[in-house]
Amino acid sequence: MDCSTAQELNLNGLRGRLSAERAAELREHLSTCARCRDHAEAERVLSEVLEARLPQYAAPLALKRRLAASWPPSTRAAPAPRRIWRPAWAATRATAAAAAVALVVGGSTAVFVQQRSDLRQLESETVNDHLRMLGGAPLAQVAGGLHEVKPWFGGKLDFAPAVRFAGNDDFSLQGGAVEPFLDRRAAVFVYKRRLHTASLFVVRGDGLAFPTTLRTGIVRGFSVALWKAGDQGYALVSDLNLRELLELQAEIAPP
Amino acid sequence: MAGGAADEVVRQALTHADALYNFARWLARDPVEAEDLVQETYARALGAAQQFEPGSNLKAWLFRILRNAFIDRRRRSRREASPPYLEDLDADGEVAEPALGELQLDQIRALVAEDVAAAVHALPESFRTVILLDLEGMTEAEVANVLGCATGTVKSRLSRARALLRDRLAAYRP
Repeated sequence: MDCSTAQELNLNGLRGRLSAERAAELREHLSTCARCRDHAEAERVLSEVLEARLPQYAAPLALKRRLAASWPPSTRAAPAPRRIWRPAWAATRATAAAAAVALVVGGSTAVFVQQRSDLRQLESETVNDHLRMLGGAPLAQVAGGLHEVKPWFGGKLDFAPAVRFAGNDDFSLQGGAVEPFLDRRAAVFVYKRRLHTASLFVVRGDGLAFPTTLRTGIVRGFSVALWKAGDQGYALVSDLNLRELLELQAEIAPP
Repeated sequence: MAGGAADEVVRQALTHADALYNFARWLARDPVEAEDLVQETYARALGAAQQFEPGSNLKAWLFRILRNAFIDRRRRSRREASPPYLEDLDADGEVAEPALGELQLDQIRALVAEDVAAAVHALPESFRTVILLDLEGMTEAEVANVLGCATGTVKSRLSRARALLRDRLAAYRP
């Protein structure tokens, strides 16, 4: 492989988009070419900086409501979680129906693809909702810690969020809020570590694709963890690195 | 078939509102115009829903509609006023590939969001677009679908856009 080809492939190589054979050729070239290694490192640094620092803009809720108001009703069941302004029952029913259809007509592959798509939507919405939190959603007072936050949710939610982590020296609990999450309301717990903010969204898990085992990923530079416990879904998101986010996740949901 | 296409658009399109708005903000640089663009995109998508191919990439299709709406607006502005509102839509000139040392990479690592945003805003529209679509996780083929050009064009434009951005970020002085 020559340098020109190697540098052309570096970006897709970093993203794991090359075939195994092509990736091996690239690795071999990089092991002997300092210039192309430098190029790969420069690509990696740029990707990290863009993903972590480039501001992302979430659509204003007013815009979403206007769009929904002018949008025609679907004639068939929806296979994916729908928007926050739809009644909860509608999305739940639609998702269950779509899953049933997928099982019948598409077999296991279709179901897998659908589940992956649903997970990506959950991850994406988690990041968007975190951005809205960072944008200045008011938090409940927390002078009394978790004992003060949890009762505050009473009457604002139709479930009692199962969260026992009141914060510690590493992750301080900043407060709580009730915010829209997809088609339902979420209890939001906001934690801080140094200058980093982490939002934990807890929702009723019915009809949403929360995985029963922990799933983690990086979405637009944010570390995201999703899991389900009992009948509640949990979405944890922060600009902390994934290792630190998992430390917080382990405090929230001890293994 | 056509009914299925329209139904897929109706069922799924609104789930991309955040991504579309983000793209519109970076294209238009103005929150009000970004909202207008997103609304126009959805109106156009509904009107053309029968043309959507079921099972193809709805997100790329919507992004393509939004970008076309943006270009149409800029062209209209250009006709209505003399200043050149439209940036070069195809900045395909050569960009020298900078050789960055560790010090320059450290400089890039130390930049804050405002610096990175300013550098991205300063890119020509065609470069900014491929950078943003790439960040959305789209493959080169999907970006080509949005832009209506060949995959090879996207590959080379993305490479030049990233090289230019690296160069500017490395040279950035607050």
